[in-house]
Amino acid sequence: MPIRKVEIRLEDMLDELTTFYDAKVWHFLTVNGIDLGDGKIELQWIFSKYGVKDETVLFSAVTAYETKVPSVVSLIPSATLSEREIVDMFGVEIEGAAKGLYLDEDSLTMPLRCSL
Amino acid sequence: MIKAMMQAFTNLFKPVHTVKYPFEEDVVLPKDYRGLIEYSEDDCIFCDKCEKACPPKSIVFYQHPDGSKEYKYNAWLCIYCGECVRACPKPGEALWQSEKKPLSATKEQDVNNEWFVWQRAAAESRENHAAMKKAAKEKKRQEKES
Amino acid sequence: MKKVVNIPLGSQHISLLEPIRFQFTTENEKIIEVGADVGFVHRGIEKACSETFEWKKVGYVVARVCGLCAITHSLSYTLAVERLLGYEANERIKYLRMLMVELDRIHSHMLCLAHVSENAGFEAMFMQIMADRELVMDIQEAISGNRVQFDYIAIGGVNRDVTPELVNMIHKNLDELRPKIDDLMERFSNNWSLSLKYKGVGVLTLDEAYIYNALGPLARASGLKTDVRAESSDFPYEDVGYEMIFESSGDIYARNMVRLREIINSITMCENIIDNLPTGEIIEKVKGKPEGEVVVRVEAPRGELFYLVKGSRKNFLDRVRIKTPTFSAIPAMMEVFKGSEYADAPAILASFDPCMSCTAK
Repeated sequence: MPIRKVEIRLEDMLDELTTFYDAKVWHFLTVNGIDLGDGKIELQWIFSKYGVKDETVLFSAVTAYETKVPSVVSLIPSATLSEREIVDMFGVEIEGAAKGLYLDEDSLTMPLRCSL
Repeated sequence: MIKAMMQAFTNLFKPVHTVKYPFEEDVVLPKDYRGLIEYSEDDCIFCDKCEKACPPKSIVFYQHPDGSKEYKYNAWLCIYCGECVRACPKPGEALWQSEKKPLSATKEQDVNNEWFVWQRAAAESRENHAAMKKAAKEKKRQEKES
Repeated sequence: MKKVVNIPLGSQHISLLEPIRFQFTTENEKIIEVGADVGFVHRGIEKACSETFEWKKVGYVVARVCGLCAITHSLSYTLAVERLLGYEANERIKYLRMLMVELDRIHSHMLCLAHVSENAGFEAMFMQIMADRELVMDIQEAISGNRVQFDYIAIGGVNRDVTPELVNMIHKNLDELRPKIDDLMERFSNNWSLSLKYKGVGVLTLDEAYIYNALGPLARASGLKTDVRAESSDFPYEDVGYEMIFESSGDIYARNMVRLREIINSITMCENIIDNLPTGEIIEKVKGKPEGEVVVRVEAPRGELFYLVKGSRKNFLDRVRIKTPTFSAIPAMMEVFKGSEYADAPAILASFDPCMSCTAK
């Protein structure tokens, strides 16, 4: 399946997604994170189109570990769990997403960071 | 509603679908059932390919200092995928998949601890062997230089 | 006087087989607020895939995410890696893979229907469906050689071929199963405990389905026409008689009907596949190491399964992202609970067919 990859800046992410996302056209797949090393992390928001063959769009933004990431829950209510998973796994901070989906609330481990 | 009740009643007199497994051993296995891995050490050429291919690492080779190798297979760790048989250069002779059902281990067999000891010993033997080889190589090189 | 009461459901509950906890806030008997805790069986499979196991072995690891849809997990991973290696399977391999996925769908849906009838207090029906389900399990065992964890799909093909005796056995068992499903269909639409009781309970409207990104049978029961089988060109589903099945009412009854009709459609597809198996090799050598980033979607019994695999020509992959159907259906589930009676909660939950082992991976 070919992916259309759109590279955006994290600050523009919410505006971009607001103009792009229409609940009746796009199916929200998931939020994904990939640790790039050197304190950088790539965040991805992935969508697919209803009723069309092989159309997947991936928005990607590169950010630092410490940056506070805005949440897309106000736009896509079903993103809550995916965001909490990213918070648990990478130790990044996403607005309104609490730690403790898989790990303990006060756990200090970040399993999917490549340095750890 | 009545139909369902009738069926429930008739089901009462039908034969049971389950088997009392450990006491009644008449489980019919299909042909080519994937069972235990069997091997013949005489035919093995000790190439380690099965060890590298095994996903749960249930075949582990021990390296003796004289260069010979010894291996053990853990039937309780094995997932019966058959990767080792596909990787084997002599399939059917040195390594093959039988249709035998794996038996459950008892407490007396102490399979876990025994296996952990073996795994540690094997890893250590490899390291020792590698170190020995390296030292020998170094010695040879020094002799050449001098 | 209105009184607000907090009632937990799970993580251990008599009507639940899976470790999930819902925290209901109820007003008298009506649920007004729902909280969910899903991470009880987290095993760190995503980490294991990129750090402990080499890419050739990961297919066997991801199959262990879930016992019921093991085949879809290993299939999605294998498709992803094959695409990274620039390999495309031949028609025979595609057909054999499709056959296993459809058989998987039949027995998974039957398990769900059994649980639904059990939660209606219909224990006899539960026993009967589980006994009939053995017909499909036997086929799968005969094809793959294993009963639950099939380990059937390998990178570059499938591990075992279908023999003429097997074809006969598949035909025999499926012929036996079809009238039983027709019978079940009648039971589920006419029996009082299974139809009237379930009509209008646990409704997910079409708009809610869009907003909360419902998927799989849950979405199709609300009339949202989404199915990865129709939305991806990995498999020639149109050639084997696939049709999308959907209802419009979105209640438990509609979800049961969608599942029953999908079983019948899957049986038809399996028969077509078996009758029209193309010739060719069943496994081919694939060379190289995975490089790049790829996305794969496969329709699992519970909905869409999503894999993102990223590799950089090393023995270990950079990232394997698994998104399982139940994980993304949980927001929709929570929405359905709101406004329904507390006593209905176990039945509604069973009708979602949740798989916690998938969710927490």
